[in-house]
Amino acid sequence: MIDLDPGEELTLIQDTARKFATEILNPAQRDFEAAREVATDHRAAFAEIGLGALEIPEELGGAGLGAVARITVLEELAAGDAGSAIALDPLGAALYPISELGGESAVEQYCLPLLEQDGARAVLVLADEAHLDIGTQTVSGTIPWVPADRIDLLAILTPEGALLVSDGITLEKLKGSGLRCAGASEIRLDHAPIAAQWQDKAGAARALARARLSAAALLCGVMRTACIYSREYAMDRVAFGKPIAHHQGLAFLIVEMNAALEGARILTQEAASRADQGRSFEVAAAQAFVEAAEQAAYIGPNALQILGGPGFMADLPVEKYMRECRALGLLYGGIDRAREDIGQTYFDCDLPIQLTEVEA
Amino acid sequence: MDFTIDKPTQARLERVHALGKNYIRPLGLECDRLGRPLPPDHEYFRMLHKMGMGRTRWRPKKPGEPERKKDTGKPGNTRSTLLVSEEMSYWDRGVAVSGPSPGLGEGPLIAMGTEEQKARFLGPFIDPDRPRWAAFAMTEPGAGSDVAGIRTRCVKDGKHWILNGNKSFSGASSRADWILVWATIDPSLGRDGHRAFIVEKGTPGLGNFHIEKKTGIKGYESTSFVLSDCRVPAENLVGGEDYYTGGKGFKGAMKTFNSTRPMIAAMAVGMARAAVDEAMRFARDNDLLGDVRVRDRLERMHRKVKMCRLLTFKAAWLADHQMPNIVEASMCKALAPQVGMEAASLGMELLGLVGGRGDHMIEKLYRDMKAMDIVEGTGQIQRVVMARQLVGFPN
Repeated sequence: MIDLDPGEELTLIQDTARKFATEILNPAQRDFEAAREVATDHRAAFAEIGLGALEIPEELGGAGLGAVARITVLEELAAGDAGSAIALDPLGAALYPISELGGESAVEQYCLPLLEQDGARAVLVLADEAHLDIGTQTVSGTIPWVPADRIDLLAILTPEGALLVSDGITLEKLKGSGLRCAGASEIRLDHAPIAAQWQDKAGAARALARARLSAAALLCGVMRTACIYSREYAMDRVAFGKPIAHHQGLAFLIVEMNAALEGARILTQEAASRADQGRSFEVAAAQAFVEAAEQAAYIGPNALQILGGPGFMADLPVEKYMRECRALGLLYGGIDRAREDIGQTYFDCDLPIQLTEVEA
Repeated sequence: MDFTIDKPTQARLERVHALGKNYIRPLGLECDRLGRPLPPDHEYFRMLHKMGMGRTRWRPKKPGEPERKKDTGKPGNTRSTLLVSEEMSYWDRGVAVSGPSPGLGEGPLIAMGTEEQKARFLGPFIDPDRPRWAAFAMTEPGAGSDVAGIRTRCVKDGKHWILNGNKSFSGASSRADWILVWATIDPSLGRDGHRAFIVEKGTPGLGNFHIEKKTGIKGYESTSFVLSDCRVPAENLVGGEDYYTGGKGFKGAMKTFNSTRPMIAAMAVGMARAAVDEAMRFARDNDLLGDVRVRDRLERMHRKVKMCRLLTFKAAWLADHQMPNIVEASMCKALAPQVGMEAASLGMELLGLVGGRGDHMIEKLYRDMKAMDIVEGTGQIQRVVMARQLVGFPN
């Protein structure tokens, strides 16, 4: 029966992630952004606390945890710095097509070596947002932006399956709108050899759903930190004789921002819970992503608005939160693709629409 | 973390589903068409009575039984109760809440009343001999969400209290055996002046019942009435005079409201689900789903309704574990009616001129839904409550 208790193990993991994000990532976020990477000693510190490889099966040396653990950790890290959360995760969402379509043997072959290399990065992109020319042996085309300065393995998701590329990848560094700590590059592929390829429409849909969940969790982290930062500012800043948070116009805005975050988070949790229970979660994950991306586009600019002029200055992090709230929502096909995936299910869905499942 | 519904609750929901489809929805449409609630002697109420509905959750203490522990350590049942309310409201919110029951007066009476008062007034609801109603009256023409501002006066006169004032929007009070009425000994005392009374049917001075004409929720009786030199026995002061020290009386009322906000949110979710389903059905039947704008708008409503439902679950789960839920209860109560209103409005848009005819289910939902953003504290009040918690917004 409906139970929101994360349990002892996950609470401990969450506390560990929160401590690292609060003490390490958040204070250094501007330095990491300027350097386009997490400092080496901090990467080592992250490796020590064991939050990497959360979803890698235990038999392969991972933690063997599921989607709920994953979104919980990602939100915490992103609340410290979203770019760092991406940079510290060598596999990122590229893990999902490999695990969903290739299985454990593919994870062992393609993912585990990356975990051994400091700074290695795998990246996931959708073929249809980049107009790639995919042949039987090679792939060509340009991907306008990914949050990475280094790509050891590129996973390309198509509606019917997935393919992997590790050679023939050229990166053109960009300024990047947000998430600069993770890097920002244009990818150029010129007859890049395909290292592996799988055809499995359902597996591709699950992989995309897991990628959307990871993005939704990162968005929740940025939204949370933007909400907290702007709320604390509003309680300190006095105008017209009282804290600006006590003017109803801003009080209501702060309340709405908080509710927006809570709504996005609980949709993300529910979708992740479905995934962990082996239930259908593709629509739920798309809903969570759309909600998170839409609400981030609401929270980011409004967090800055609460600060007014100071918020517009790069001295404070809230302008960075605004950029990252928007940039994260562009990943994995963005809002429109996710909405369309949900909309296509309406032609033959059951009525009444079932919003909740019955326990097994 | 688990968002599934357990099998016993699902079985209850399936029974409610059948009741809703066969009775609640058709009766709701009939009430809307006729512009009035079902009369108390309607066969639907007799059927509910035969099914064992409308009973109190209160049970008398057995002789020698020790004081019951308020905290048993076991999770409460709010989640299951909310789901049932949601499903009832999916079919028709007005008829769903019109059934015989001790109503909103039950909570404060259990929380504040003496054992004698509970036995006397809730006893008949343990195994009622016929469909019975009780009612709750706080709202006044000049005091809605600002319940601290009530003006109905109560003055002690020997072994009686004399009540004078007007009450409005009180559910089922014209058919109630008794009404739990809130009054004040002195309006200038604010919350500390509040007193609750059980005013029994037929008490001299209780009268001028007027069943309101409303824009929606017509299956439910919303009544205004007058207390004119209404003499209430002193033993009907809920909790007795000793209870009212340090503003306890007002807190009793507010406690009730806090526990019912997720309930109202759940009802709004049920109605919003109905709006989405009807809009989806209309879009499908009329080949509108080929339009990406239609799909996008349905997607938004589907997602928002689900989000509100999950937030309501959260508020209920916190309540079931005796954890603070002030923000969560107000959050779901603030959001669900707003989302429901948007869903019904979208449904009207899809209907086009069919929506203008005034005889479509979605058009009814559009009118019904507005009430949910008003009752049990308006959406604005919920935002004030949240702002107090989040930024210390001053009272």
